[in-house]
Amino acid sequence: MDTNWELFRPFGAHETEGAGRLRLFENFLFNRILTAVLSVFGAMLVIVVLLNMVPGDPATALLGPMATPEYAQRFIAEMGLDQPIYVRLWKFFSQVAVGNLGTDVISGRSVNAIVWNALPHTFALALASMGLACLIGIPAGVYGAVHKGSIGDTLMAMVSVVFVSVPSFILGIFLLIVFSVMLNWLPVLGVSDNATLGDHLVRMILPTVALALGWIGLIARLVRTSMLEALGQNYVRTARAYGLRENMIHYKYALKNAVIPTLAIIGMGIGRLLGGAVLIEIIFARQGLGSVLYDALQARNFSVLQGSVFVVVVIFVVVNLLTELSYSFFDPRIRYNRR
Amino acid sequence: MLTSTNFTRRSILAGIAGLSAATMLPGGPAWAQEQRSLTVRISREIQNLDPPFMTGTTDSNVLRAVFQRLVAYVPNKYEYELDAAEKMEQVSPLQIDFTLKKGQMFTGGYGELTADDVKFSFERYIRPDAEGKESSYKADWAALVEVQVHDTYTGSIILSKPSPSLWEVVLAGTSGLIQSRKAVEALGAEHSRTPIGSGPYMVTSFEAHRGLTLSRNPDFADYVPDYETVNLIYIANQKTAELALRAKEIDFTELSIDAAEELIGAEGITVEKRPGQRFVWMGMNMQKAPLDNLAVRKAIRAAIDVDEMVLAGYQGNAPRLNTMIPPGLLGHWSDAPVYQRNVDEARQLLAESGVTLPITLKLTLLNEPGFQNMGLVAQALLSEVGINIEIDQREAATFWSSGKGESGDDLELFFLRFNANPDPTYNARWFLPSQIGDWNWQRFDSAEFARIQDESGSNLDRDSRVQQIIELQKLMDESASMVWLTNEVFALGYQSSVQPAFLPDGNNWQFPYFKAI
Repeated sequence: MDTNWELFRPFGAHETEGAGRLRLFENFLFNRILTAVLSVFGAMLVIVVLLNMVPGDPATALLGPMATPEYAQRFIAEMGLDQPIYVRLWKFFSQVAVGNLGTDVISGRSVNAIVWNALPHTFALALASMGLACLIGIPAGVYGAVHKGSIGDTLMAMVSVVFVSVPSFILGIFLLIVFSVMLNWLPVLGVSDNATLGDHLVRMILPTVALALGWIGLIARLVRTSMLEALGQNYVRTARAYGLRENMIHYKYALKNAVIPTLAIIGMGIGRLLGGAVLIEIIFARQGLGSVLYDALQARNFSVLQGSVFVVVVIFVVVNLLTELSYSFFDPRIRYNRR
Repeated sequence: MLTSTNFTRRSILAGIAGLSAATMLPGGPAWAQEQRSLTVRISREIQNLDPPFMTGTTDSNVLRAVFQRLVAYVPNKYEYELDAAEKMEQVSPLQIDFTLKKGQMFTGGYGELTADDVKFSFERYIRPDAEGKESSYKADWAALVEVQVHDTYTGSIILSKPSPSLWEVVLAGTSGLIQSRKAVEALGAEHSRTPIGSGPYMVTSFEAHRGLTLSRNPDFADYVPDYETVNLIYIANQKTAELALRAKEIDFTELSIDAAEELIGAEGITVEKRPGQRFVWMGMNMQKAPLDNLAVRKAIRAAIDVDEMVLAGYQGNAPRLNTMIPPGLLGHWSDAPVYQRNVDEARQLLAESGVTLPITLKLTLLNEPGFQNMGLVAQALLSEVGINIEIDQREAATFWSSGKGESGDDLELFFLRFNANPDPTYNARWFLPSQIGDWNWQRFDSAEFARIQDESGSNLDRDSRVQQIIELQKLMDESASMVWLTNEVFALGYQSSVQPAFLPDGNNWQFPYFKAI
């Protein structure tokens, strides 16, 4: 039964407005975290079921033709693939509950170590790419809206469409051929054994650009559309009537409102990129999470695959939760009493 | 109590922008620095550096640089010389005596290499470890009874039956590597990542999913490898490896044939293409109708044009193969029949077979361009005699389980590729009746084949052993269940300043013998 506890509150003990907001926020947070946990569980269930359906013998893929049938059988048992799905899921979540993602049966390494080694590379690439995309895409979108119909706007629309439609791995190879082989300005390999910070940063330029270009196009188009709507609002006309400078109107007032829908896309984009920019990581030989996932899938290395997919799902869900929470930060008119 | 923070929307946005800008800052061109080191691309991750449990040639190339053997291959040849042993003698068909050189030290302070380490290393293959785990290379040491230790430096290898391939395949190969008993017992599972050897190199860093670094072992006294360090970098993508070679970021890599063609003539790069030792054939499941009919199998063999298929698959780069053992390897049947396309004969055989035309067969193949092209040619050629081919191309993991267990019952036609081993008896083992449901996808079930194969495995007379191997190939030919296609070609690309060393199969790289020129 739903009890309205407000009726039993002693007279005069009304919550202050601040406390009420806090409670609304707590409710909102609780609901979202619950949803996030269920999403992670649901996603893992689907993934384990799908992995179970993928054809191919993991023992053959990993051990090769030299393996004896006895060893292949033992290997399957060590991976737990001879057990029903619900047992595997239960075991996996029991391990996860104590912070253990399992052990890679082939190398004997902990999956935690494999994932944690890969994560910094993925984080660096995802944040740099999205940062670059925002840095260029947002001003480009504003420019397109303010100069609607101009040659610059048309040109940007065309370039944006090209960026969005050409797959990042094609751009990656193109950039490698031009900047690494023909001009010899930048290295081919995206990661260095030489541990200097400068070297690491230089090696990040091409993969970052390859990954960012598509997002630049997308963000530019989104911001342009939102800005066009914002520029038609009354408060913009009022600001102009007050004689404010155009730049201040565009960037301080109109953009602040126009950028809200884009935030959702950026949040989702960061989630996706953190989940592994698989092809870019492979092309630039970076050992990020996407690359780990790809190799594990190729080899049917289920222990690594399961653990890294779990981390990807968690990252995606958390980033989306943070994105949702950030809406009110960027727009104070948004409150948490809306479900 | 809630406290205010100094973060504002503006400061956070400015921070994000700053962070992005910072990551874009240029640094010194360290990638271009000259180093006295060799950088080698590996196309597969290093998985396990514990010899009995290694998973392929990427692992074994590292292991052979780190560990010593009693005998080891000389550069570029299937010929061996003494390595850790000072003296070795086959005193009888069932006993090999050895004497070790003195003062060969394991790295990491694990002491001197002794006869007890030899016993420990070899017997690991025939007995499960403490956790019950067995080596997947157990068959290499199937004839081993025990290694007897006489004193610190001498011992005897005792066999249950003569083993003619033991010297060049096992002792000189990866299964003959000598580990430190102390190190393996002390390090446990960690030993599969930080191997302790006494060979020319030692592993100084190993980053999973990235690669490893080999550094010269200062205690190794036999010779000094030319390169101080060998960096093995994992690059999965073939195109990236090609570009990295062009940009001089790597010194040595295997290449696809297409990439090799493009790189020929590139400045400062040497491309080497040689006939390979992997045998490729079109197999037919002899237990599945209508392929259980010998006349149908012979008709298919007569209807296809091997030369055209190989030309389409390898753009004229690979030689035709007429029998299982490629030329140059012991047991090659040089007089094997060279089947030419004969449509009339194929039609006649089909008429004699009693099957009703047209028939439809599924051709299962790996999703590699070469196999796909050969499949398309076979499809066109066979349609002329009333055999319709449905091509079923599969990615690696799915493909390699196609002929196993029950799924093998439904297999019809397929392309298959195996790596040839210097030991012909070993190559023939995959076609034994006992391999049906495992690797004998043809389901070629010949008791005579099994008998001769078994006898050849313990025949120490080279000439009569070659005859036995040829007999095996004749039996395969009579079954008409295998149409040999090619032994492929391998291509390697390297900077012209490097003189590489590798065995004739092109897969086994000998890092300690690489030289800077």
